This record gives sequence, C-alpha cells and structure tokens, in this order.
Amino acid sequence: MTTFSAAAAAILVILLIFLQFKRTRTSELALVAPIDADSSLQRYNNYAFAVPDEAVGMGRTTEAPPDQTNARQRAGLRPPRLSGRRIVHAPLAMFSRGRFRRTSVDNESQPCHVKLRTESPDGSRADAQQLRHDERSGGTLDLLPLAILVTNPQGTILFANAAVEKLFGYSREELVGVVASELVPALLLNASGAHSPCADLALGGREPEGHRDLVARRRDGTEFPAEVTINSVSWESVTCTLTIVIDRTERYELLRNRQQLAHLTRVSTLGELAGSLAHELNQPLTAILSNAQAAQRFLATEPVNLTEVREILHDLVDDTRRASEVIRKIRSLVKRGDLEVAPLSIASVIRDVALLVHSDAIVRGIHLRVAVTPDLPPVHGDKVQLQQVVLNLLLNAFDALASCSALNREVAIAVTLEGGDTIRVAVRDSGAGLIGETFDKLFLPFITSKRDGLGLGLSISRSIVETHGGCIWARNNEDKGATFYFTLPTGERAGRSFPRGQP
Amino acid sequence: MSDATSTVFVVDDDDAVRRALTRLIRSAGYCVESFGSAHEFLECRPRFEGCACLVLDVGLPDINGLELQNELNAGHRSLPIIFITGDSDIATTVRAMKAGATDFLAKPVSDSDLLPAIANALRVSSQALSSRVELDGIHGRMARLTPREREVLALLVEGRPNKQVACKLGIAEKTIKIHRAHVMEKMEAHSLVDLVRVIDKVCTRLAPGQSAAR
Repeated sequence: MTTFSAAAAAILVILLIFLQFKRTRTSELALVAPIDADSSLQRYNNYAFAVPDEAVGMGRTTEAPPDQTNARQRAGLRPPRLSGRRIVHAPLAMFSRGRFRRTSVDNESQPCHVKLRTESPDGSRADAQQLRHDERSGGTLDLLPLAILVTNPQGTILFANAAVEKLFGYSREELVGVVASELVPALLLNASGAHSPCADLALGGREPEGHRDLVARRRDGTEFPAEVTINSVSWESVTCTLTIVIDRTERYELLRNRQQLAHLTRVSTLGELAGSLAHELNQPLTAILSNAQAAQRFLATEPVNLTEVREILHDLVDDTRRASEVIRKIRSLVKRGDLEVAPLSIASVIRDVALLVHSDAIVRGIHLRVAVTPDLPPVHGDKVQLQQVVLNLLLNAFDALASCSALNREVAIAVTLEGGDTIRVAVRDSGAGLIGETFDKLFLPFITSKRDGLGLGLSISRSIVETHGGCIWARNNEDKGATFYFTLPTGERAGRSFPRGQP
Repeated sequence: MSDATSTVFVVDDDDAVRRALTRLIRSAGYCVESFGSAHEFLECRPRFEGCACLVLDVGLPDINGLELQNELNAGHRSLPIIFITGDSDIATTVRAMKAGATDFLAKPVSDSDLLPAIANALRVSSQALSSRVELDGIHGRMARLTPREREVLALLVEGRPNKQVACKLGIAEKTIKIHRAHVMEKMEAHSLVDLVRVIDKVCTRLAPGQSAAR
C-alpha cells in the first residue's frame, strides 16, 4: 500500500518537474516565434476545450494510422506561445497529441482543427523542438510501470500511457477521447467538474492518502480491483486531472486467501469445541423435552393446573430461543464470507463467544469472568472476525490453565475505554505465563507451544486486529499468568483501515 | 408409586433444565427439591424422612456429580442417585455405576426413562430404609447383651452345642444354659434358627467380635 503511494507521489514529482522544465522552455520559445495574441488564444482554447468535446461526440476512432506526415502536422498544431496561458497549455497539447493526429483524418467534420493546422505553418523550428521534447516526455510516461491517464474537466481522456494500454487492453488511439468512467465506472464527474469517485464506499469518509479502492473494467468486460489516485493539476483557469490506476488484484487475492485461512482456523477451532457446543445445544433441548412432557402430564390431570401450563409455555419459548441462538452463533462462525463491516458492540461480540465456550470452561473446571464497561461506543468491524479473535484468545487462556491446580483456574475478560476513542479488550489467565523465547515469536505464523497446534491462531488474530485498525500484544501479569490485549478504534478513527470497494 | 413421604432431589446448574426437570417430576406426583450446585445441596444437607433419591447432573461447575456421589457415599445415609449427563463417556458411566448409581441417563431425558428410573431409585431407597430400620432394631437388641452373653451368642450361631460352648469358654454347661436363655430373650428370638437368621443380617458387624471370641 505505502510503496504504491510512494510510487504515485514520485511520479507526480517527476511530472511536476517536467512541467516546470517545459515552462522555461516555452518561455524561451515564445521569443523565437512571436504570433498574434488573439488568434493564439483562440487556437489555444480550441485545444484545451474543443478537442475533448468533439472527441466525446466522435467516440473512439481507430481509423487514423500514425505516420510520419501526421507527426509533422502535429508539430504545426502546437499552439503559439504567448504569456502565461500557453505555458499552461503546452503540456496539455503534449498529452493530446494522439488526439490531434486523429483529427487530421476527421478534419471534414471538424473544420476547427483543419483551420488550426493551416494557421500554424509546418516545420516551425520552435515547434519541432517542442515536438521532440514532447516525444521524450511522452516516452518518459510510457516508461513508468503505472497506468496514467490525463483527463480534462469533463472526464475525457486526453492522454493514456503505455501501461494503460497493457492494463485495460485498449489501444491508446481508442482511449483518447473516451470518458474515464468507461475504465473506472465509479469515477464520475461532480458538479464542480473535477473527477470525484462517488462509488458507494463501504465506510465513507475521506481517504487521507488521496487514493481510493475502486473497481476498474478491462476492454473484455472483466473487472478488477484498482487503487486509483487522482490529482488535480490546475493552471490558471484550466484544470486537468492525473489519474493513476494501480492493479490491486494480487492484493485482494492475498486478502481473500487470508480470509479463507481465517475461516479454516475458525472451523477447526469450532471442531475442537464441538463437544461443548453439542452440550450447549443439548441443555435447552433437555429443558424443552421435559417441559413439554410435564405439560402433557399436567393437562392429563383434572383439574388442569393452568398456572403450571402457562409457565411451561413461557419457558418453552425461552428455551427454543436459546437453542436457536446457539445454532445461529455456530453458523455465523462457520460461515465463509467476505468481510462485512458494520458498527457493532464489542460487548455483544464477547457475550456471544463467552456463550460458546461456556460448557468448555465448565468441563475444564475454569471460572470465566467477563467485565465490560457499560455504554461503550460501537466499534467498526466484522463481527465474525472479531469473535474469532476473542475465541482464539479465550481458548489459548483456557489451554494455559491446563496444568494449573483446579482452584486457580480463572480467566477474566475486561473491556475498557482508553483515551476516549479506543476500546481495549484484555484476556487475563492465571496460568504459568509466557517465557522470554515465546514472547518474541508469539504472533508469528506456524509458531506454537501446543502439542497439536497449527500456530496460526495468534498470527491470524493479529492480522484481523490490524485490519480493524487496532493492535494486539501480550504481557505477563505481575502475580501469575499472562494477559493478551487488543485494541479497536471507535468513533472517527473506526473503520478507516479497511480496504475499500472490495470485489 | 408416588407417596408424599418420597422426596426427589434435583441438582443441575442450568436454570432452565433444573426448572423443567423439577416440573416434570412434580407432574408425576413426587415432592421435589432442587439445587443449583453441589455446594448448595451439601450445605443444606436436606433432611428427609422416608425414601428419597437424587437426580444429579454430572457436569456441575463446582464439584462434579461423581465427587458429590463419593461425598454422599461417605456419609452413613446412602441416597440412590440417577445421573443425567449431556456428554456421557463410558469411563464416567462405569465409575458412576460402580459407585452405586441406580441409573445413568443421557440428556435430553424423556419422561419414559426418567420417571421409571426415579421409581426404581425410590424402591431401592425404601428397601434400604426398611432394612435399616430392621438393622437398627437388631443392633439395639444386641446392645442389651452382656459381654459374656455376646461370647455365648457368637458360639451358638456357629452351631455349637451347649457342651462345646461351655468347654470353649471354660464355664459350666448349666451357666451356658442360663446365658443362652438370656440371649434368646434379649434378642427376641423364638428358636435357634430365628436367632441365626437375625444375626446373619448383621454378620458383617459381628465378624470382628467373632474372631475376638475365638
């Protein structure tokens, strides 16, 4: 993520340096080729605005093979340099080069460009130099491994580099003049005319780094997740937009793999718990059966004891709810699903898990205490994943007590609010504690101190907590045992760290 | 079957299960007392006249069912136990049955299993109760014997004639006859056979005395 942001920033810097360089160049050139101010402005405006508008109307044009003559003509199309305005537009012209080449063929329907071409005499020395420079700079952008689009305020593509061709499967000629939202559908125009991604981003809020995770569409219609960085470059009254598109397919594959792994560990954890879960379900079933049979017996006697029957029916409803609640919790943990991020109460997450491990705690002779500060603000996250973290920490704590004397087997969960916007969950056991060596490797994958452990629980917990924008750590207690902590942000900070626009 | 003096105790930590079991057993006409934990049960040490039995959950959070069974067995009044459990494994079942449980039922338990099991346990309890009453009576009668009469009794129930008893104890046969008459009278036995049968019931208790007599 950061590497790509850095790369994007670097490209921008290169581009700005390049533009700066052009500014000095064009200033010099203006002295060489002085042209009438009014006509130059007119031509200039044609360049900046008429071209894209016309391009939208024309659609994609591929019928203009570039040749040497056209290249010469392009040189003639350079707008005359005059004062600040042409300085601003020199780079635009460069980006639009491909487009102009095309208009040379379509000149019947677009007389404006023909006129432009005829107005500017071919072979002007300054323009030739400019062209060579543009060729070099265009080449520079082509060398960059990132897909770069330059669009006008209407969102029409003025320039696309080689990486765009490769990434999207269109040829450059096809792309120029097309609206950028063809490539990235979520990239739409807002009222002010600048690009703004108005994708229905799951979490809302502004992305401080200036990039968005959106879905991009290739020529063949296939979609892929992309990180899109948009930068407005504004000179005088004209704004153009640099859009950098980075293919994020790999990252999402990685994310999906991680989710699958998390799902697998959840399932295997539930497998370990199967016995206790069966018990958890058996209890309400026992109550239901006995209650129902008692009701049958009460109804068979005269006079019918209606008070008893009423109470029984009330209990039957409660017991049935309890049973279905257990099933719902198991199912939600086993469910294989994408990240579902929503505001949720950490207290309910912990209560659900405590219910699942209730029987396991009894079987192991462990006393489980849960203390939750009341009225905690909601956290933003995926309920199942957070349950997995709590479940994992709890079962680890239970395991840590295996060698303890029966009297000291105690696990305590404490949920507190730290510093106003962070919720801290502490899972404290009274076991033997952690030894130095284990400490360092605690959260690394495939490191385990258990005989039949996979060594994935804590590493997955860490990745889940970090995805939620929190952190996880462990400490030995002063008296005995260890405490595992994890934090989750609330309020403004909550949910910022989630990847957006997931496919 | 269900008589007012029979009490069924229920110990289960799960409120819903405990309430339901209590209701079901009450619907069969028994008097039910329920407890949420083994500690609660032990603290109350419920006193009961007549027969009683205990419906006990194996997986209790404080003291588990088997430990409570051991505790109860150590006391002098035994209480027939019906175990109910959600996750029955063979080892636990065997341990419980060896320690004298009358039944071992799996949750969810049906009335067609539970109620006959309770009836059976109460029958065991009532048998224990009556034999206990009888034993108490025999012990009471034996307590009235003098040491010499006890020695005579021990040799008589071995089937020895008066002459041998006299020889063994080194006293006159006439004296033995007087002791024998006292023993028969105090033990309220009408014949030697009657006496032997009564003593047989407490023979385990008598065994040490017998060896001392020899």
